[in-house]
Amino acid sequence: MPPAIIVEHVSKEFILRHNRAMGLKTRFLGLFHKNKREKREHFLALDDVSFTLEQGEALGLLGHNGSGKSTLLQIIAGILQPSKGRVIANGRVAPLIQLGVGFNPELTGYENIFLNASLYGFLNKEVKKRVKSIIEFSELEHFIDTPLKNYSSGMQMRLGFAVAVNLQPDILLADEILAVGDQAFQDKCLDKIAEMRKNGMSLILVSHSQEQVSKFCDHFIRLERGVMLENGSIGEAWE
Amino acid sequence: MPNPIAATFRPYWQYRDLVRNLVIKDLKVRYQGAVLGFFWSLGNPLALILLYDFVFTHIFRSDLPNYILYLVIGVLHYNLFSQAVSQSCESLTSASGLIQKIYFPRILVPTSSLLFTLALWVIAIFILVILYPFLGGIYHWGLLLYPLALGLYIAFIWGIVLTFSVLQVELRDLKHLVDIALMFGFWFTPIGYDIHVLKPTTREIISLNPLTQFMDLFHALLYAGTLPALNHVLIASAWTIGTVTVGMILFRRKARHLVEDL
Repeated sequence: MPPAIIVEHVSKEFILRHNRAMGLKTRFLGLFHKNKREKREHFLALDDVSFTLEQGEALGLLGHNGSGKSTLLQIIAGILQPSKGRVIANGRVAPLIQLGVGFNPELTGYENIFLNASLYGFLNKEVKKRVKSIIEFSELEHFIDTPLKNYSSGMQMRLGFAVAVNLQPDILLADEILAVGDQAFQDKCLDKIAEMRKNGMSLILVSHSQEQVSKFCDHFIRLERGVMLENGSIGEAWE
Repeated sequence: MPNPIAATFRPYWQYRDLVRNLVIKDLKVRYQGAVLGFFWSLGNPLALILLYDFVFTHIFRSDLPNYILYLVIGVLHYNLFSQAVSQSCESLTSASGLIQKIYFPRILVPTSSLLFTLALWVIAIFILVILYPFLGGIYHWGLLLYPLALGLYIAFIWGIVLTFSVLQVELRDLKHLVDIALMFGFWFTPIGYDIHVLKPTTREIISLNPLTQFMDLFHALLYAGTLPALNHVLIASAWTIGTVTVGMILFRRKARHLVEDL
């Protein structure tokens, strides 16, 4: 079986543009005023990161704020292009960088399920087959035909999570999203992820919390300032 | 053997329901709560036509027979262009929430913005279909070519839509400039007047406007009841190839890094 994800020597350089000229006025002023001119600074967010995630494995990405873990996740999800290196993914990748991407407050919960799922590349007829289990999982049967603007933020997140996990991805990329709703629903989400893992789903989990990573993952990577500091199995190198 | 063309389009085809859902969402949100709902998409072109009809028959006299038909054809087709182009400028920038959170082919964002405009326009075009015989429209076999002419026009607009949506990301003034240019564009296109009444130099200038060529196709098919002149078809096709090529190249080069500038 080919690995689920291969990350090969990935580097990402951002160009920070101070005083960025977004309009004509600033561009014009820049001709005369030196301090209004755009200054560019190169910033290396990821520096030569490589790892392989086998199918069915779970990897925790640890690191402080700004260590590059979210950038790495965005590159694996295909949202950002790496400056160097490449990422190969085998299977359907579902990024959960934000729950309920594309949700529109004016549409009903039911309509939003289809909109959200189609952003993951699903056809409406495929979603129709799963819509019952999505609604059931979200526990929002009673509200599904009301506009999303009447939902609480917890309800919206529940719906978003229900869509994402019911699309049966091969690889789930989760960016600190496991704090969904109340305790009971959180436990349900964690159980669901554990069940999907048992069925062979691979997982990459971005987290601050070692505890969460040790509960879910069999491997971990610690990033600091874009550099891979540690890469190991949980249990052996765990402090 | 896998078909290379099919292989190129498969990733887009996979997302066809995304385009559909985005267009339906825009339609639903647009007329949410309005009592008359979709009828409002008829209101704007109807008001324009009445206004221009008043101006061109009572203030500036026009000698064209069946003048209202001439005017309606021009106004409706210009409206499609101006609404699509104006709206597309902000299509990518206003979809930043999606683009930063999930990967999908970015080209679908400006494309669905165009399809949304087109969906509203199809409702407006019913005015023309219903009024056509009463305004002096001629039923002839050439009308069967109209979908081809319209398709060419939509492809031309699509090229511009792609170009402007990308440029807007780097140059946020673009939308305001475009809105002004569209006001001028109306008068630099033979919509309310016949190009043949102009002085030769003015006519030359107006002919440089690609929309003039497209208007000629529509006026020939729908107003004069003839086939359009071949040279107009060729010039219009050349413009279409031009805008689509520029739009595609620009999109290919910029699309991957768009997300960093949003």
